[in-house]
Order: sequence, then structure tokens, then C-alpha cells
Amino acid sequence: MNRRVLIAGTALVVPLVAILLVGLGRDPHVVRSPLIGRAAPSFSLRPLGGGPPISLESLKGRAVALNFWATWCVPCVQEHEVLAGAARTWGAKAQFLGVVYEDQEDTALDYLRRKGSAYPSLFDEGGKAAIAYGVFGVPETFFISPEGRIVEKFVGPLTPSELSANLGKALEATP
Amino acid sequence: MIPVLGRSLVLLAVLVSVVGAMVGFAAGIRPSPAGRLWTRRFAYAFAAAMLLANAVMVYALLARDFSVSYVAQVGSRQVPDWVAVVSLWSSLEGSILFWGAILGVYVAAATRSLGDRHPEHMPYAVGVWLACGAFFSFLLAGPAHPFATMLQVPADGPGPNPLLQNHVLMIVHPPCLYLGFVGMTIPFGLASAALLAGQLGHDFLRTLRSWLLAPWVFLTMAIVLGGWWAYEVLGWGGYWAWDPVENASFLPWLTATAALHSALLVERKGVLKGWTVTLVQASFLLTILGTFMTRSGVFNSVHSFTQSAIGPTLLAFLATALLFSVALLATRIDRLSPDGQLEGARSRDGMFLLNNLVLVLFTFTVLLGTVFPLVVEALRGVQMSVGRPYFDRMSVPLGVALLLLMGVGPALPWGRATTAQLKNALLPPLAGAAVFSGIGLALGARNAWTLTTLAFGGYTAQVTLRELWLPLRQRLYHGGESLGKALVLTQRHGRRRIGGYVVHAGFVLIVIAIAVSSTMGVDKEVLLHAGESTELGPYRLTFVRADQVDEAHRTSLVARIEISRDGRAVGMLSPRMNHYHTQREPIGTPAVRTGFGHDLYLSIMNVDPATQTLGLHALLNPMVGWIWIATAIMAFGGVLALLPAHRRAEPARAPSQAPAAMALPQ
Repeated sequence: MNRRVLIAGTALVVPLVAILLVGLGRDPHVVRSPLIGRAAPSFSLRPLGGGPPISLESLKGRAVALNFWATWCVPCVQEHEVLAGAARTWGAKAQFLGVVYEDQEDTALDYLRRKGSAYPSLFDEGGKAAIAYGVFGVPETFFISPEGRIVEKFVGPLTPSELSANLGKALEATP
Repeated sequence: MIPVLGRSLVLLAVLVSVVGAMVGFAAGIRPSPAGRLWTRRFAYAFAAAMLLANAVMVYALLARDFSVSYVAQVGSRQVPDWVAVVSLWSSLEGSILFWGAILGVYVAAATRSLGDRHPEHMPYAVGVWLACGAFFSFLLAGPAHPFATMLQVPADGPGPNPLLQNHVLMIVHPPCLYLGFVGMTIPFGLASAALLAGQLGHDFLRTLRSWLLAPWVFLTMAIVLGGWWAYEVLGWGGYWAWDPVENASFLPWLTATAALHSALLVERKGVLKGWTVTLVQASFLLTILGTFMTRSGVFNSVHSFTQSAIGPTLLAFLATALLFSVALLATRIDRLSPDGQLEGARSRDGMFLLNNLVLVLFTFTVLLGTVFPLVVEALRGVQMSVGRPYFDRMSVPLGVALLLLMGVGPALPWGRATTAQLKNALLPPLAGAAVFSGIGLALGARNAWTLTTLAFGGYTAQVTLRELWLPLRQRLYHGGESLGKALVLTQRHGRRRIGGYVVHAGFVLIVIAIAVSSTMGVDKEVLLHAGESTELGPYRLTFVRADQVDEAHRTSLVARIEISRDGRAVGMLSPRMNHYHTQREPIGTPAVRTGFGHDLYLSIMNVDPATQTLGLHALLNPMVGWIWIATAIMAFGGVLALLPAHRRAEPARAPSQAPAAMALPQ
């Protein structure tokens, strides 16, 4: 038995395996948004199909679920029902808002007419809001506390349980 | 039907590999001709089961049999047949199946070629190979089963990752990488056998070295082919980004390179046996670590662990293999007693040691940079990444040091050298250093590291060419032979040595090409309207128009750019932006015009056919083409060294320590 080899080998192997074990549950694709915990960038955008612009400031006091979506995005179609359902149940406490991302206004309007919508979707001319929120792709959903802070960001299609968990966090977040 | 057949073959592979591994170890502990014979039979049976399982999958992919889960996942009626075949290794489960096929081929080839030559070692070696085979066939039977039956058979599938359909290199690169990665199992088994049997004789060492060199050649080619693919497909203008996937292939290459060199010291001096065996073990373990790190798709980092059960299983295998190796080394390393001793630093021996030190340091540097983000996240919960600056800053001095050692080492004699010998050996190559750095200066190189690389490269080039030329000159001038005959005879009687120096020559070229291309390129980003042009170096690039091309699986926007050099039209380059119907983000394909001096590399940033505007990233990359040429040279050298040598011409420098190795086949 060569003790030096044993000690050196163990000292190398055990931490390595331990680190890999810890890293096992990690999803390398998830990049945490630096905006979490910060004030949500303000916007004032015109809803699809006309009407006065809606600004973030005007929604103070209610939690906001801000969902960036597009008609060409398959996962957005998947989560459409989830969002519409949740908007009806949470409607009293939280405001749901859609933001159309890199899409034509009439295509989006036509899509909403066919699918039905439970909350306003805004048209982001020139993608300024998407840039301010650092949107990488769609769908991405930001959960904003009643005071206007971003509490959580969710990438990908939401399930009902994930949606309620995040929205609950946004509502509980008090300064 | 097909899923059942595939699953049966996988289960057969599990069975024969488990039983075969046990028979192998038993035959190692209690040697008997029958035990060895049965060990070999199980090795062939494992290979047959794996190859047949792969054949079944290829058939299913070609027949578009969507009742097979893997075909439903990656198959498509839209893609041509060659893409259907390539799909075998395009995704997680298929790539593990392909791994099994390559392992089968290696195990069968090694078993066949070694026959009954090393009776004390071979049963153990086959036992270790089949134990690895058992693990991979278990993966295929459970966590990563490609032959599951689809309950609802889809009419069509999505096809493989579009990035993999983009370039023909995708046919060559993954098999090459697998031949490198999986091939490390063979030397691992042989090294473990040396430890288990408690001896590493001259004859067995040669076997070990050859079976290490073969996967090393493939790994070398695979690493560069991967870089070439990235360069031709990804469109950012470079070929290496220190991505974990790239590091995963580089790590075992470093330790295997170190092992190939320390094995020479074992052969010449009978020292460093335990160290060499450790390096061989490490090379294999790093391939498994690499497989684990890259989500086991090896080159496919699209899969994350949360989606598959393969991560924990691979980690369990890695941990087992690591502990097995440490335990084996700790208990048996002292049995591999040295037969000689090392000379001091002023000898080739000393340079070999230094080379090993630098290579191992390099390995740790890359390993640390690769796993550091995991460490930080585990300890502090902060996400971070170790970027190029760390890797570049650390690897450049190490690479340059290796380059110099490649010149100094072979210039020195074996054993202790006198001061006069040292001067004679080390001073003349300074001419080469002066010539190379002079050329660099004249062509505008100003970066200190580039100039150092050129100087060391020139030094090593001169030593290498002299070592290649000397035996030839001997035959030409003293033997009076014709050039052709001298070439043939020289390489025939010293293939390994010559092969080694050819590899060195290729490596010098690669390092210089990397240094020059990464410090002396120029690039620009411009916005062009149709008809406008821009200048880059000697080129004038005129944006003619942008077209939309519709295909079954993608829509591409193609920019037509007319190229003229010094006023003369030289052709058209058409970089494109592809929108695959199954992908969210568009994928660009650059257009490259490769030349001996430099490449002209055009990549689209954005393009709009409606307004006929183009955002263009244009690069002049000097010497990149030489990286591919140099790799071919290295591969040629490796193959030359692998060809069976003419025994008569190779004087045995150490007596065979394993008389039993001479035993006749039963």
C-alpha cells in the first residue's frame, strides 16, 4: 500500500466527485436576470387593437405578470391557456399583461381573436420594452411586486403551479 | 418488432459483458488457457451484440420507423438519407449506442490483435474493457434506452439538431471523437492489467503505447475537426473558445500526450512506470469526466441533466472508475519497480520530465477553469463563468514552454551531457529561431508572445528537421542510395521515431498558426446597401443583393457578395442566415474563402431582403488554413508510428522482463 498515492488520489478525487454531485441538478441554460430585486423598467405601451397606452406606473398597488410572447413561438401557444385561466382567477390581485415580441400587429390581433384573450396585450414598437427587460427569447414572464420591483423571471412555458408560485411570491413581496 | 430486436441485443450485450468481465478477472487471478479462451469469446460476443444493435438502429433510421423512440425523436422524412444515418450520433441515446459500437470494435480488434500474447495481463485487460462495456450497455438498457416502443407512432419526426445538418464535417468529426474517447478504454484496461498483474515489461509496454497512440491520433484529429466545424458553421470567426465541450476533449489529449512521452522513458530507462500508468488511467478517467460534463451527448450540450437520468448514472460510473483507479494505484504501484535511474536535468531524460510536468500543469489549469464555475456556484450560489482571458493567459505560456521543450529535448543526448555537447546541441538551432522571428517581424508581427512563439517554433523546427534529415543523409551520402530508396528504408527502419518527429513538425506548425491567427487578424463590421462596397485588406467586397431561398426544412436569407482582390474579380461569397422551422433563433452560416496566407471570412449579422440592407462581419484570418494542414501532418506522423515496425531493425534496449510473454499460443 502506497500511502502517498492513496492520500493524493483521494484528495483529488473526492472533492471533484462532490463538486460534480452538487452541480448535477444545475441547468446551465438558466441565466439569472440581473433585474431581479430591482425596480422594473417603466413603459407606456399601446394595447393591440387600439385604446389609450398602459403604463407600469398606472398599475402600482397590484402585482403584475408581464408575459413576452409571439404568434410564431410554439411554447407561447402552449402557455396561452394557462395564462388566460390564471388571469381570470387572480384578476382581483394581479394584472396580467402580454407584450408582443418581434411580431406583426395584425397577425397578433388575429391570433388573439381566434384564441381569445383574458387580459390586454401591448404592442412594443421597436422592441424597446423587450430590450429594457433584457428579453432573450420568448416566452419570458416577469413577476412584478405591487411596489414595482421585479421579483422573479421565468423562461419558457409556464405551468399553472409555477405561475401561482411566482405570482404568490410577487404578492408577498412587501418592502 | 424493431424495438424488441434492438432491446434484446442491448440486453444480450449487458449479459455477455457482465459475465465476460467476471470470467476475465477470474482467468486473471487463476490463469488457464480455457479461461483466456472464454474471456476472448465473451469479448467478441459483446462486440457482435453492440454492432448488431447499431445496425438495427441505422436500419430503423433509414426506414423512418417511428415506432422506435429514438427515431421518433431525431428522425424525419424531410431529411436526406445521409442525415438519417448521421442522426445515430446526433442525440443523447443514439450517441451512447454509437459509443457501444465503437467500444465493441475496439475490444474485438484489441482482443484479436493481442491474441494470447500477454497471458498474465490479457484476461484482466479484457475484464476491465467488458466492465466498461457492461456500464454502457446498462445505460442503453435503462437510463438512455433508444429502443423504447412508441405507443402512438407519429407520422413524422423533427429531424436532428439543424446545426448538425449544416456541414459535411459533422459526418467525420463525431466518429473521430468517439474513436479517440472510447479508444482510451483500451489503454486503461491494459494499464489496469499491468497493475493487477504487478508487472510492466518491455513487450507489454510497447503494446500499451501502441494502443494509446491509436486513440490519441483520432483525438488529435477530432479536436481540430471540431474547431474546423465551429469555424465553418458557427460564424463568429474563430475555431476555439475554451467551451467546456472543447475542454472535455482537450483534457485527455494532454494527459495522453504526457503518457506517450513518459512511456519512452520507461522503455529507455525502465523508470516512471507507475507515473506512466497513472497518466494512462487519468486519460481514460478524463474522457468519462468529459462525457459527463457535456451531458454525455459528448458534443451535444443541448441536453441538460434535469431532462435525463443519464447524469447520475454517468457520475456513479465516473466515481467508481476513479475510486477503482486510486485503489489500484495505491495498492499496486510499488510492484512496478524501476529497472534503472534518471539522469540529471542536463539530458533528454530531464527534458522529458519537464515536458510531463508542463503537460500535467496544463491539464490542471484547464480542468480548474472548467469546473471552477461549479465550485463557485456550489459554495456561494453565484453564477459565473471562466472566460477566455483566464484560459488564454494560462495556456499561452504553457504552450510556448512545450514548444521550446520540443526543441531542446530532442537536441540533447540521452544520459548526462558534457558542456561541450550541450553547446553543440543547443546553439545551432538558434539560427532557426532567428529566421522564423525575422520573417515574423518582416511580415508585421509585433505581439511579444507571437514573436516568442515564432522564435521557439523556429528553434524546434530546425531540431525536428535535422532529426528527420540525419538518417536520410546517412543513406544518401554514405550508403550511396537513391533518394526514393533512402526515404523508404529510413521510414521502414525507424517508423516510430520518424513518426514522432513528423508529429512534432505538425505541432510546431499548428502552434505558430494559432499564434499568428489569433493576434494578427483584422476584422470590420459594416452596414451595406445593395450595390455598396467596403474594403478589407487587399479585398473589395461589394454587396450585390440579398435573396430568400425556401427549402423544405428551412428558409435562408442569402447575401451575395462579390469579391475582388487588387482590382481583379475573384468570385462570389454567399454567407447565409438560416431560419429552421423547428428552431427559435436563426442560425448563420458564414462563407469562407481559404487561402495559403489568410482566409477571407464573411458572416451575416443581419440582413433584410425587403430593404436590401446587410450588416456584415468580415474578417481576414491569417494562417488558419495551416492549422488544418498541420493536423493532417500530425495524423500522418501518428499513423506512421503506428504501422508495425520491422523488428529486426529495432535493437532491443532492455531485456524482456516477461519471459511468459514469449509463450506460444495454445
